[in-house]
Amino acid sequence: MAHSLESAIGITAARTGARGPSHLEDEVVSLYGQFRNPLLRYLLSLRVPVEDGEEIAQEVFLLLFRHLRQGKSRANLRGWIFRVGHNLALKNRARRMRQPEGMEAPRDGYADPAPDPEACAAGNQRQARLLSVVRALSEHDQYCLSLRAEGLRYREIAEVLGIALGSVANSLARSLARLSRADGGT
Amino acid sequence: MRQQDNHLSDSELILWADGELGGRRAAQVRGHLDACWGCRARMQELERTIGRLVRARAAALGERIGPAAGPGALLRARLSAEMAAAAPSRGVVWRSAPALGALVSVALAILIFYVGSVSADGPRPKNNLTPGETRRVTLGEVCGGSEVETVRDVPLETRRLVLAEYGVSAAQPNAYEIDYLITPDLGGADSIRNLWPQPYSARWNARVKDRLETRLHQLVCEGKVDLATAQHDISTDWIGAYRKYVGANAPR
Repeated sequence: MAHSLESAIGITAARTGARGPSHLEDEVVSLYGQFRNPLLRYLLSLRVPVEDGEEIAQEVFLLLFRHLRQGKSRANLRGWIFRVGHNLALKNRARRMRQPEGMEAPRDGYADPAPDPEACAAGNQRQARLLSVVRALSEHDQYCLSLRAEGLRYREIAEVLGIALGSVANSLARSLARLSRADGGT
Repeated sequence: MRQQDNHLSDSELILWADGELGGRRAAQVRGHLDACWGCRARMQELERTIGRLVRARAAALGERIGPAAGPGALLRARLSAEMAAAAPSRGVVWRSAPALGALVSVALAILIFYVGSVSADGPRPKNNLTPGETRRVTLGEVCGGSEVETVRDVPLETRRLVLAEYGVSAAQPNAYEIDYLITPDLGGADSIRNLWPQPYSARWNARVKDRLETRLHQLVCEGKVDLATAQHDISTDWIGAYRKYVGANAPR
């Protein structure tokens, strides 16, 4: 099962029984190349500042290196990466919330579009409207939606967030219904 | 949700489009869509919204992400440094593989180049004020949760007390985090005797300590370090513990 899932989600790192440290290093760097951008987008959507997001991504892959070096499970590494990233992001956010007022308040995950001439175009307005609906969703629904947008399957999302599979399906249906209404659907 | 007149619900349409329905139900949905214009139109609306959402996310988030080359090189450097630090006998490694020393030096140089220069070491917790208190926990409780430390807020009043104890003036508190000396995830107590003001700007800052805490938690849960030793080491000299367990000399 794990192998079929890994191939289905496009993990292309080498998989052999006897891996030396340098092979493992190559493998983790390769996985970083595959998943750094999706993970960073997810972290940013959780209102982690971009500089902290880079550091969290580094930490995730250092932890992954240790995880694999100890011979731990290779099942669903993408889910593992997003789960550890998610936990570190929440920790980062809580740390920032604890900071005194005026210091590095958490930014909105979705930056406003740059004020260029195209900002008035209908397409951009629609995008801004969709993102404002996303921001109005519950945090839980935002997590599910962002993880799905980064290509995770329902089972992986359930594992990352520690929720039931049915909750993922309900959350996505609820979010997409709201987004569709805002987008001009029923 | 639409489920009137035997139409498919949004939930079913999305499950089907995402390939999350089982074979028999997927075939039924496919058959319904072949016959029902209403559900096909709804499916198209949902797909259109998904497409627009994907583009909106890419525009809002994608452009804030820089190129991967620098961070990728930094990660490789950190992995090399970690492998060197974890070698069973450093003396033997350095003699038998002199190139490794150069590799680690280059790795650390890349790391320092990437993160910028470091500021001076921060103050350490005072033993008379913050000896580090623990609460009664079992190993199962310590290791039963997430791989990453859970976070607890320090009440404002406690924060003021800790800052006052350490003589941090009213003009300076923004420069400090009130941190647990023994992290709650290693059984640290929610007590003022386990709290101290840790500077944000110091070389040995809260983020570096987080790395040690994650590492110690991992070692404890793997049975390589017992909980009492971890609590002792982090509370008596956390920087020394960092060098002992994480093994790097130049944290950012």
